[in-house]
Amino acid sequence: MTAQALTREDAPRMATWKALLLALPIIPVAASPVMSALSSGDLLAIIPGFAISILLIVVFFRMLVTGRTHRYRSALFISLAIAVPLHLIPQLFELYGTNMLTPEMTYAAKARFCPMTVGAVLLPAVLKGVVVFPGVIAEGVVWFFMWIGASLVIGRGWCSWGCVFGGWDEFFSRLRKKPVIKHVDRKWRFLPFAILLAIVLLSAITFHPIYCEWLCPFKVVSEFEAPTSLATTIALVIFPLTFLGLVVALPLLTKKRIQCALWCPFGALQSFFNKINIFELRIDLDKCSQCKRCLRECPTFSLDEGSLVSGKALMSCTRCGQCVDACPKGAMSYHIKGTRISVSPNTARLLFLYPAYILFCGFGAVVVSDAVWRVLRLITTGSMI
Amino acid sequence: MHGFLLGLANGTSCLALCAPVLIPFLLSEGDNVRQNLVTLAKFLGGRLLGYLLFGLLAWAVGGLLLAAGGYQALLIGGTYVGLSLLLLVAAFRKKKPAHGACVLSDAQVRFRRWPALIPLGMGLMAGLKVCPPLLLAFTGAASSGTLGGSLLLFATFFLGTTLYFLPLPLLGAFTRMPDLRIVGRFAAVIVALYYLGSGILLLAGGVQL
Repeated sequence: MTAQALTREDAPRMATWKALLLALPIIPVAASPVMSALSSGDLLAIIPGFAISILLIVVFFRMLVTGRTHRYRSALFISLAIAVPLHLIPQLFELYGTNMLTPEMTYAAKARFCPMTVGAVLLPAVLKGVVVFPGVIAEGVVWFFMWIGASLVIGRGWCSWGCVFGGWDEFFSRLRKKPVIKHVDRKWRFLPFAILLAIVLLSAITFHPIYCEWLCPFKVVSEFEAPTSLATTIALVIFPLTFLGLVVALPLLTKKRIQCALWCPFGALQSFFNKINIFELRIDLDKCSQCKRCLRECPTFSLDEGSLVSGKALMSCTRCGQCVDACPKGAMSYHIKGTRISVSPNTARLLFLYPAYILFCGFGAVVVSDAVWRVLRLITTGSMI
Repeated sequence: MHGFLLGLANGTSCLALCAPVLIPFLLSEGDNVRQNLVTLAKFLGGRLLGYLLFGLLAWAVGGLLLAAGGYQALLIGGTYVGLSLLLLVAAFRKKKPAHGACVLSDAQVRFRRWPALIPLGMGLMAGLKVCPPLLLAFTGAASSGTLGGSLLLFATFFLGTTLYFLPLPLLGAFTRMPDLRIVGRFAAVIVALYYLGSGILLLAGGVQL
């Protein structure tokens, strides 16, 4: 069979024994929920912890056996996004009795450090030696090194494997079968970069995390500042509007991850890491039939007509794997820069999946497990806290 | 010398305060380094004008302005609104090609060139923004007692701060990336909306965002 005639359905599936063997390195990381639950000694926590750990190993094994990435990643990614408010908000109620923090509480370093602020805090930190996000600084330092390490390894893959919020607009983008809005002007792809530039400059002069205070859609599903002034009251109106518009309505209408693709400044920052890390998505132009299905499927507008000529995804690619799964000719693949396109795409995919999956487990596994525990607790005791 | 050193010591603050306006504007124009130098010169000219006005004010009213907090809020709010409107104009206007001007009258040509004054206006607004370094200079000028001394202090203060602005025209080195113009325009709109909101709230009741 020639390479041209090879279709996605014909693509070789990995042998079960080989997949089992290759899934072994994931077990220590996937076991974190059950280990965490065992240390708590709470039977109600051990059950979901055990179930989540087993699920994570099975999902990775299925990814290897079937050769499919996106459908499994997407299910986990959406689960994580839904789990975050179930985990975070009760935790804040346990600690402070509310998820509306006053300025005094946030400046007393009681807010959790949010990784999405990294871009905004860098310039003031360099220029003035001040971290403008009023969170727990030690936590910020830990986040910083985890973020740098993960970004160097998987680039903007962070946005489809590590982000705790992106699953929300992925969820809404998958609800409809066909998009209502089919064309989005190319220039909007540059808006996240503009927001990044603006908030970095404005945060440097105001010494406030401007994005968090005014524009973050995910304040709706986490914590926010209590309405103690006209400005904070206005912000409280903006947050649900941005959430409903960018995370719910537009993804529903376009079937794209609009918040991630056309708004998130942290995603824009991550795009630069795509330039310097070793993985990328490539199109094998010998196999490509120019059906443009990948362009339609890509949830972040990271493939355009130029990609079909150059064989490369744009720098905004989040390595979600949707185009790889969708390509009927098997022309899309994960690829290691500097190697020939036809050389072992399965090895490149595997080498990408390990760090990406470890990142997901590292951020998400315990959060999902804790969220399930809190729901079980709600059912059995009537309280999540 | 006192003004120059004061400017030199506080120049990074002045740059940080002007950068949110100047960087998106320079990017949105998409000009080369030489053209950016001209734009920067206009901006700095406007700033100098603003500073000299402050020098005049410092000589005329001395420390009275510093004591009147309400006027400060009005002045800052006004400059914020002015800055935001100029940025919005800059972001939304379409650059006209130079050719074809020969069929227009002199008055029309002059009118069509008015956008060239936008950086001057922005510089003036930026110069009038009351910021901590400027207040330090104002205090120094108010205590000098003479008009010449007051103007000289602000002029030397301007010189000291200007050194930090000199690398900015190098943004013109990225003219080969036309997409940066789109980023610059979007960023200019975002910064303008921020200043507009801040300015309106300050004018309305002294609320700082």
